[in-house]
Amino acid sequence: MGELLTVNMGPQHPSTHGVLYLELKMDGEIVVDCKPHLGYLHRSIEKIAENRTYTQFIPFTDRLDYLASMNNNLGYCLAVEKLLNIAVPDRAQYLRVIIAELNRAVSHLVAIGTFAQDLGAYATPLFYAFRDREKIVDLFDSICGGRLTYNYMRIGGVSADIPARTEQIIKDFIAYERKQLIEYNELLTYNVIFLARSKNIGILSKEVARSYSVTGPMLRASGIKWDIRKEEPYSMYDKFDFDVPVGANGDSWDRFKVRLDEISQSLRIVEQAIGGIPEGNPVSKVNRVFRGTGEAYVRTENPRGELGFYLVAEGGFNPTRCKIRSPSFSNLGALSELVKGLNISDAVCVLGSMDIVMGEIDR
Amino acid sequence: MMIRLFTGFYSILKGFKVTFKNMLKKPVTLNYPIVKKPMTDRFRGMVDLVPEKCVICYQCIKICPTAALELEHKVLEDNKTKTITKFVFNGELCCFCGFCGEICPTDAIFLNKMYEVSYFAHKDLLTIDLMRKDKYKHVDGGESS
Repeated sequence: MGELLTVNMGPQHPSTHGVLYLELKMDGEIVVDCKPHLGYLHRSIEKIAENRTYTQFIPFTDRLDYLASMNNNLGYCLAVEKLLNIAVPDRAQYLRVIIAELNRAVSHLVAIGTFAQDLGAYATPLFYAFRDREKIVDLFDSICGGRLTYNYMRIGGVSADIPARTEQIIKDFIAYERKQLIEYNELLTYNVIFLARSKNIGILSKEVARSYSVTGPMLRASGIKWDIRKEEPYSMYDKFDFDVPVGANGDSWDRFKVRLDEISQSLRIVEQAIGGIPEGNPVSKVNRVFRGTGEAYVRTENPRGELGFYLVAEGGFNPTRCKIRSPSFSNLGALSELVKGLNISDAVCVLGSMDIVMGEIDR
Repeated sequence: MMIRLFTGFYSILKGFKVTFKNMLKKPVTLNYPIVKKPMTDRFRGMVDLVPEKCVICYQCIKICPTAALELEHKVLEDNKTKTITKFVFNGELCCFCGFCGEICPTDAIFLNKMYEVSYFAHKDLLTIDLMRKDKYKHVDGGESS
């Protein structure tokens, strides 16, 4: 082994997915050691929660995993509802599931688009993914008025009922996206160059995945069938029929494939839910006042893994403690294990396949 | 080796088929500064106010998660009517959550359709006087109440 060279990758680097700084020890082209440095996006969101009322904290959850704001909203609202024993109308539950699953699908679209770009497929797959994502972002815009930070869910319901024609738009999107998924397979999944770049790169074994408490598509790609929606169904997920895609090797390609398969499963859930939305008023007014005592922990399946909200309340209008378990943070822990012995270009591939979002790592 | 070359060439052709098909489709993007997309009914832009409708209930001030609004009032000499003396919006603190518009009992405060929110001076963004009619007139196309 020659002299080790330290390479600083990030925090301003196109392929680090946000402000992540990796300190790489290199032996020539080979990565010997990797140390992620965090904290460039720290906004002390957990502390902010202690100074805001339960409702006021909802916009801040948008800023955790900003590619899946709806899922964060859902996780937080479920935690508060469990803490304060608030009933949610059936219509709101259905809307939440539909919206959360659509958000999962488009979040995975961004993941596969950026992953392909990290591998050198410059712009084309990313633009295709964003083109499809735009349809759902437009829909969310008409439902809640936001295009990135949606702030749609409320404690005990949602902020507004869906406008007319939403169901038709969603049905059209499902039909459109199913066709697009075939196109993605042709363009990327079984492309020989893509396979050569991602197959057998960054293999995450079951044992390592368990020991780092990796969750989400990353864990499932390693062959462990674990999905909170199945194991511990929240909201209305026990009413819908869907499969949990599992990978075989746990390499970068498996992580990509699991995400692609999850999109079609999400569309399946939405298709089942859209037909059976019950009548009723899903709206929960923003001026409702909440207070109570106790503690609650709710974990939900976010696009990136297991998102947990732990809330402690001591009778005030705001929680006295809010702990957020973010999936990307745990998933990133496994990075240094994965990249050892790889080329630096493959380290970028592994990082892209992990699909981390710095907003929820630093919080 | 030959097989790998052949399969590689074949999969590139397959990829080109997809990109060629997409090349013939209509563009999905807009020629932005010239063509502008209309905003949806519920779009949340800048905070705007219809001063005549405001009943000075301070609900928007209380619900704002980032304390971006500042309201002061005085009671007139007849000890009944209240008038606003100061209603300032801090565009830098605002997180565009729309709580103020949702909670307002008279729909006096609302989020307009303005999405181009640049200012020429930083301090202008910090103290947007909501009582003024021309508060958003500086931006081309910026509409006000």
